[in-house]
Amino acid sequence: MNIERLQLTNYRNYESLTLDFSNKINVFIGENAQGKTNVMESIYVLAMAKSHRTANDKELIRWDADYGKIEGVVNKRYGGIPIELTISKKGKKGKINHLEQTKLSNYIGQMNVVMFAPEDLNIVKGSPQIRRRFIDMEIGQISPVYLHDLLTFQKILKQRNHLLKKNQGKQAFASDVMFDIYTEQYVEAAIQIIRKRFQFMELLQEWAEPIHFGISRGLEKLVIKYRPVSGMEANWPTDRMREHLTEKLNEVKQREIERGVTLIGPHRDDLQFFVNDYDVQVYGSQGQQRTTALSLKLAEIELIKQETKETPILLLDDVLSELDDYRQSHLLNTIQGEVQTFVTTTSVEGIHHETIQHAKLFHVKKGAIE
Amino acid sequence: MHYPEPISRLIDSFMKLPGIGPKTAARLAFHVLTMKEDTVSTFAKALIDAKRNLLYCSQCGHITDIDPCHICSDKQRDISTICVVQDPKDVIAMEKMRDYQGLYHVLHGAISPMDGIGPEDINVASLLARLHDERVQELILATNPTIEGEATAMYISRLVKPSGLRTTRIAHGLPVGGDLEYADEVTLSKALEGRREL
Repeated sequence: MNIERLQLTNYRNYESLTLDFSNKINVFIGENAQGKTNVMESIYVLAMAKSHRTANDKELIRWDADYGKIEGVVNKRYGGIPIELTISKKGKKGKINHLEQTKLSNYIGQMNVVMFAPEDLNIVKGSPQIRRRFIDMEIGQISPVYLHDLLTFQKILKQRNHLLKKNQGKQAFASDVMFDIYTEQYVEAAIQIIRKRFQFMELLQEWAEPIHFGISRGLEKLVIKYRPVSGMEANWPTDRMREHLTEKLNEVKQREIERGVTLIGPHRDDLQFFVNDYDVQVYGSQGQQRTTALSLKLAEIELIKQETKETPILLLDDVLSELDDYRQSHLLNTIQGEVQTFVTTTSVEGIHHETIQHAKLFHVKKGAIE
Repeated sequence: MHYPEPISRLIDSFMKLPGIGPKTAARLAFHVLTMKEDTVSTFAKALIDAKRNLLYCSQCGHITDIDPCHICSDKQRDISTICVVQDPKDVIAMEKMRDYQGLYHVLHGAISPMDGIGPEDINVASLLARLHDERVQELILATNPTIEGEATAMYISRLVKPSGLRTTRIAHGLPVGGDLEYADEVTLSKALEGRREL
């Protein structure tokens, strides 16, 4: 999959912009605050119908305009299709092949992108929230059913928490029928999420292990584990998971009532990374943590390729300069010729890899692109 | 725009209806001016009658002009089955089917802690009272397939279970007569989960 042409109208600092891309590597060069990331972001928004930087869509519209528009032509296995996303103060509208989509959820998924930004380097070291967000975004991109299950889970969690908050500290609440019912519903929804996450992480592990092995010059064996707080294991049958979670919830019942909040479930789970059996988060060097983050992103490309039969588009926002020469060239070797890639950087000096020498260069200066 | 007072009050009244904004309300109000006087008074009377003469059936909670309602007082109906629904509109939908011969029970809502609706805020107590009648053989739970509807169904089944009464839940999945290709991914996946042996 690649994007051939991008047209921006009233998007961030661009009033009107048309760019034709190479299907290999495209590099945006420029000083800071010139508008490099805005172009990158627009490609991401075109694919996902939301920004990775802001939750407020109004920020995406040029300051004095009523609406902003992103248009692109995406080439897939069976030909090119024009797609278009219009952002106005009233909301967003997507068009595929000039046909307006009634639901935005039908629009998303036409174009797959993998974004690698400096904050992704924190996936190992950062808070568990970042890792849960990573899992949910990635599974969501390939499975609409997961997104639905996640939404259901979040609604039930909210109802259950509401009930707990209202009865906080009341010991008699432990035998309440409604509490019992919401716990039962909660367990069902939680198990759906946990099972899908286990499956996904196992797939990701299969791809990430050989990639990591390559980047570490055959020295490191990476193992990724999804760790539910309830202590379940991936190979348990559903019935055992259900029993186990019900039992664990029963154990913490008193504490939940005291605190007025649900203590066990997918909203508290985490990922763990091991290199040669050592926990990378605790014992790993900065370099090992970066390699792990890089392996995960590269594995993600392979996984999307396998699930959708299309190679996703890779967006590298200011991240090349964060990697050392060896990791840089490993990254560039992997994507070489196969994955359409967009790179932003302040200069190409110091990047000697031949793929960059042959890349299509765009110089970004004060919101103009040559 | 400045309207004479009677018409602006009329516009204001129309705007209280669901789905009517200022423009439609103005259009309707001006149309009323062109109508014959007795048509207008019949219309006004119909509005007032609907509000004054309609009440909720003391047995099932459905809207009615007589108490008990037409369904509850119909001798032809099968009193051994009670179908529990959330809303009077659901009764009307079920009745359109003309296949169901039992009685109804309208809850007027579903349990939702987030919205402050607990079991005591919906019409459950009178349902339990109805179940004391030994002629009742089956309770069908037809609340909506949402989280709140499911929770309500589960709640009622818990209360009823000790009595040993047969309690069933309506099925969900693909719409009948629809094409598979038009179903969304989530409906399809749930329908697949609930597949059965032929």
